[in-house]
Amino acid sequence: MSTQTKARPRNPLVALPENIWRSIFRNPLPSSDLGRASTSFTNFFLHLHPVKVHRNSLRATFTLGLGLIAFFLFMILVVTGILLMFYYVPSTTQAYDRMLDLRGTVAFGIFLRNMHRWSAHGMVAVVFLHMCRVFLTGSYKPPREFNWVLGVLLLLITLFLSFTGYLLPWDQLAFWAITVGTSIASYAPLVGKQVKFVLLGDSTVGQEALLRFYVLHVAVLPAVLSLLVAIHFWRIRKDGGLSRPEEEDALPPDAPKVQVELVEGPYVVLATSPAAAAAAEPVLQKRHYGIQGLVRGPFTKVGNVPDRSVFAWPNLFMAELVVFLITVAGVLLVSLFFNAPLEQPVNVMHPPNPAKAPWYFLGLQEQVSYSAFWGGVGIPTIEVLLLLLVPYIDRKVAGVGRWFARERLLANSLFLTFVIVNVILIIIGTFFRGPNWEFVSPW
Amino acid sequence: MKTPAKSPIEENGDGMTRRRMLSWFSGVGLFGSLIVTVFSNLIFIKPRATYGQPNRFSIGKPDEFPSGARVSLDARRVCVVRDGDKIAAISTTCTHLGCIVSVSETGFSCPCHGSRYDQDGNVTGGPAPRALPWFQVSLAPNGEIEIDKDTEIEPGNYLRV
Repeated sequence: MSTQTKARPRNPLVALPENIWRSIFRNPLPSSDLGRASTSFTNFFLHLHPVKVHRNSLRATFTLGLGLIAFFLFMILVVTGILLMFYYVPSTTQAYDRMLDLRGTVAFGIFLRNMHRWSAHGMVAVVFLHMCRVFLTGSYKPPREFNWVLGVLLLLITLFLSFTGYLLPWDQLAFWAITVGTSIASYAPLVGKQVKFVLLGDSTVGQEALLRFYVLHVAVLPAVLSLLVAIHFWRIRKDGGLSRPEEEDALPPDAPKVQVELVEGPYVVLATSPAAAAAAEPVLQKRHYGIQGLVRGPFTKVGNVPDRSVFAWPNLFMAELVVFLITVAGVLLVSLFFNAPLEQPVNVMHPPNPAKAPWYFLGLQEQVSYSAFWGGVGIPTIEVLLLLLVPYIDRKVAGVGRWFARERLLANSLFLTFVIVNVILIIIGTFFRGPNWEFVSPW
Repeated sequence: MKTPAKSPIEENGDGMTRRRMLSWFSGVGLFGSLIVTVFSNLIFIKPRATYGQPNRFSIGKPDEFPSGARVSLDARRVCVVRDGDKIAAISTTCTHLGCIVSVSETGFSCPCHGSRYDQDGNVTGGPAPRALPWFQVSLAPNGEIEIDKDTEIEPGNYLRV
């Protein structure tokens, strides 16, 4: 019986694995441009990406992958955070013991805590560096103004997430950092005292504060952050991808010059320039296209216009995979070799001397040691407002998509000054402040 | 051909039409309920009762504090000062950022940001914006000293026992 033909239906049982596989993955691994396009289109996780992406967006030296690293760190934080929730109790009598249990009895407990802590530190740093990249390449210029605003909000939420997480181990460091931090809030005019009371749920840091910070840390803030991240990503697409210099959009010099002319009727004729048309492509002149041919954007492209974009599959996805692997590898390595700090359990009567906030708030704490209102509320508020307003103040569209563009010398200098001043304040607060916040030499 | 007669609603273009008025009512209603929701949430999130330490407490008989004593009750965050037959309670919560100040030779000093106060709680250095407050001290019927942290009094007002 060797008359088996192709038309004969296969045994459903034999074909079962293949049928299931095909029902999940609509496309085989692509071998054509059409296949590459529909792979991006039809996959839930990939359809977030454009089908084609500009070469400039893939240059590692342009983006440094910072936005992706921040996102991947957030993913690591969500996963390790949920795992830690299985063993954590937000109670002043139990929280610290649970920290010790993570060290002693929970399988991989200390490793998970390390990953969570170091990813959190890393995320604060990387989100800030990402902001520096966007500023120094002029990427907040129109039409990307609002995405910059979303980015500033994301930085603030990242800091607040980190701040709320800081209290949860309920050790000395946590307790006094939050005491100092919430007191800074109480210096805000009019609502300061109320904000502090609502944040702590009591007049001092205690059980109510621990519970409130826990709920903010594991539910409220991650939800808000996820929503804003989604909008942030969506807007990258809608704003035309990552920023790039105008030259990048120019056609290669050897490409045929294409121009669009309206002729009688609702038709468009796509014609090359007169000389080129006569010489090379007489066919083009005769091709007629509907009015749709004038629509801008990626959906309707007439003619085979050469540009500098490449298919997202595999170029973009490989790049993302590499960044993901580097991020995970980095976090794993650091977590293997360095343990997250855990100090003595809370002693409400004896603040450590000096009582220091986490490193990224030490610049703030240094400012606060000069003036509580101006250092803790006034100047930070002004800084945040200026950051939010940056794209609405600096309207000149020049030097977009290049690092340290000459046209942006003033803006870049101002921004770098802001960054350097804050870094210096953090360094002073970290290394040069001893007991009673007096100046000490670290060597 | 006659143009169809305009309805009274359409004629009156600038005035208040039924449709416009209904839109206004719906808009105000929706916006109003949003405001009510936000306020309800704020009221909800602000606790009516707290579970921490009471602000009014007794600290024992006067003779537990000999003359010249400066006893810092860190759990209560007050320092009991006795000078002869005069007793006062000075806050030990730093007015800068809420750390607990410790009793020093010259008065009080804060470990967090280096604020310093004299014996009466007046600021002598550091970032603290105001003096440490004094709390009302009274003698309860059972002869114990009672401190009320909700009532601040003028510095220099002692209770005589």
